[in-house]
Amino acid sequence: MMRFTDIVSLSFLNLRLHKTRSLLTSLGVIFGVGSVISMMAISKGAERSALSQIESMGIDKIIIHTKKPHFDTTSGSSGSNSVSAVEDYGLDIRDYQFIKTMENVHHITTIRNTRQPITRGETRLDLKLCGVTQGFMKDTSCHLTTGRWFTEIDFKNSATICVIGQNVKRKLFPLGAKDVVGSNLRTGTASYRIVGIIANDNGTSLPEVGSPNDMIVIPSTTDMAIYGNYASESQGRRSNKAILVDYDVMLVNVANLEYIDNTSKRLQNYLDKAHAKTKDWDMIVPLDLLKQRERTQKIFTIVMGAIASISLLVGGIGIMNIMLASVSERKKEIGTRRALGAQKFDILFQFLIETVILTTLGGCVGIGLGLGLSEIVKRYAEMPTEASMTNIIGSLLISSFVGVVFGTYPAWRAAQQNPIDVLRSE
Amino acid sequence: MNDDVVVQLRDIRKTYNPGGLAVHVLKGISFSIQRGQFVGIVGTSGSGKSTMLNILGMLDVPTSGNYFLEKVNVATLSDSDQATVRNIRIGFIFQSFNLFPYLTIEQNIEVPMIYKRVSPRIRRARALELAKVVGLGHRLGHRPTQLSGGECQRVAVARSLCNDPAFLLADEPTGNLDEKTGNEIMALFHRINKEQNVTIIMVTHNPMFEPHYDKVIRLRDGRIVQTKPTDSVDELTGPLSGFGELPQDRMAADAKATLTTTAEQEGTSK
Repeated sequence: MMRFTDIVSLSFLNLRLHKTRSLLTSLGVIFGVGSVISMMAISKGAERSALSQIESMGIDKIIIHTKKPHFDTTSGSSGSNSVSAVEDYGLDIRDYQFIKTMENVHHITTIRNTRQPITRGETRLDLKLCGVTQGFMKDTSCHLTTGRWFTEIDFKNSATICVIGQNVKRKLFPLGAKDVVGSNLRTGTASYRIVGIIANDNGTSLPEVGSPNDMIVIPSTTDMAIYGNYASESQGRRSNKAILVDYDVMLVNVANLEYIDNTSKRLQNYLDKAHAKTKDWDMIVPLDLLKQRERTQKIFTIVMGAIASISLLVGGIGIMNIMLASVSERKKEIGTRRALGAQKFDILFQFLIETVILTTLGGCVGIGLGLGLSEIVKRYAEMPTEASMTNIIGSLLISSFVGVVFGTYPAWRAAQQNPIDVLRSE
Repeated sequence: MNDDVVVQLRDIRKTYNPGGLAVHVLKGISFSIQRGQFVGIVGTSGSGKSTMLNILGMLDVPTSGNYFLEKVNVATLSDSDQATVRNIRIGFIFQSFNLFPYLTIEQNIEVPMIYKRVSPRIRRARALELAKVVGLGHRLGHRPTQLSGGECQRVAVARSLCNDPAFLLADEPTGNLDEKTGNEIMALFHRINKEQNVTIIMVTHNPMFEPHYDKVIRLRDGRIVQTKPTDSVDELTGPLSGFGELPQDRMAADAKATLTTTAEQEGTSK
């Protein structure tokens, strides 16, 4: 038997000798591995951002929110005479009172969008003024970047103060004013002193009200004191419709995660009964979403694996084909080597190692290609991608394995060559 | 029994059977070759000399008869052992040189040593030494394509010598060369034979080189028609003295031991 190092260096020599052919041969593996790596990275990134979004809502919560029902203008409850001036729908104080006393409910954080237009000059900014309860910060996984959060006393006194999201700060103070905290914010008739700036880095997006980053947050008591039960919403230029919504979002925190299914079912039953007339609410259970997402991901991974193995199979067959051609082309070399004392094993290993090196190098190039592709996607399509070390090492091992599987037969054929052929061919 | 018999053939027959029609290529060949002899196997095309060469080189097996290489009946060896014997006991030289074009001269000379697992350092030293013997010590880094035919054949000779074989087996070594270069190669063989006492078996149809040979075996139609100097009748047809009474396997075992000790000696001597 030859030394292993000699076999390897010989294989490299042969591959270098046929650079173009080696490259073309391993293209199948290169693209196979490349597409697998990039698709895995993209799907992993998508999964990660979806999961973190779900997780940032909090898996120990049940989110119920107000959903604007479809108001039938011709056959409303008030008869056929006119469109009702006040739209009364959604989660109300009774729901709050009831849910608060339900078993396994730890606490509820409520958010109400006051629907006040936030404008700079004539332009309406995509910002929301929301009245929230004390648990808001924690339950929406926000953190303070500067300033402070509301105290119990602020709530008790209905203080006219606010905390703004980081996007709000950017939009309202585009020039990067230094003393944002402490300055006053005017909306409509009210004026609020900014006491803090919050940020949410998880991409949390709550139903109806959106990201905390786009919110101007005021204490719920202040909201009640200034705007009362009516939140107004401008409907075009002329009409200003009054909307009676007590709560847009309730973040129901459960005490025991094990019974979250049960709790959500009871909540559903209650709301079905209490809002029997119109379905003006909806419920999200992040834990369910998470589980569902994980199931989807599992299926996706299986499908990806199947596609990957097909592409590697095709690549492998291509390699086998070329190696078989190479064996008959190199009959003379094989015969000479056998005459000079090569064992069948030496020939077998020479060709096998050559194939394995080819596919492994192809795998390496493929990994580079895949990482490059996912980087391009990340940069230009602005999708999060995440290349995992497991995938990289896995692809490398699999491409070597493809070499072994599809290299064995050609190598065996090479070893079985009759050395007489070389002398007879003279 | 002469201990210095390198090759002994006894009633070698080879029959090919293409499509049910038996073709008798060798019809009972017997001869022996002493260590240090320069033997020419001559004959026209179709005389069976290529088949003879394949059998001597252990690339083909005879249909019947025995081939003893340094007292070993090669028929008893496994495929792997035969490869080992080819590696360390036979030095092949081909008509078209059969150098590897992608290897340098030095690497080409090293190939049989690679299969013998000689360490790279010793390989290089030996390659240099042999390249000097054939007069190419200054061209180790070149590739075969940069060399003339005669130089290529010199490289092949150096390669065949690298494992100190029992004999060189040269197949029409001058067949692809012009007359002058051919003569130079013959002179090289002659020198190696005389100075280093290397046994050489050369298969050729060229009658010009006959004066070089210590022994000429002339084949025609699968039979030896002439041996110069004439072998004794005993050697040609008679029983092998000293071999006949030994059991076959015992012989093989003894001979294998000889082979391995030779290999070890060579391994340690470098």
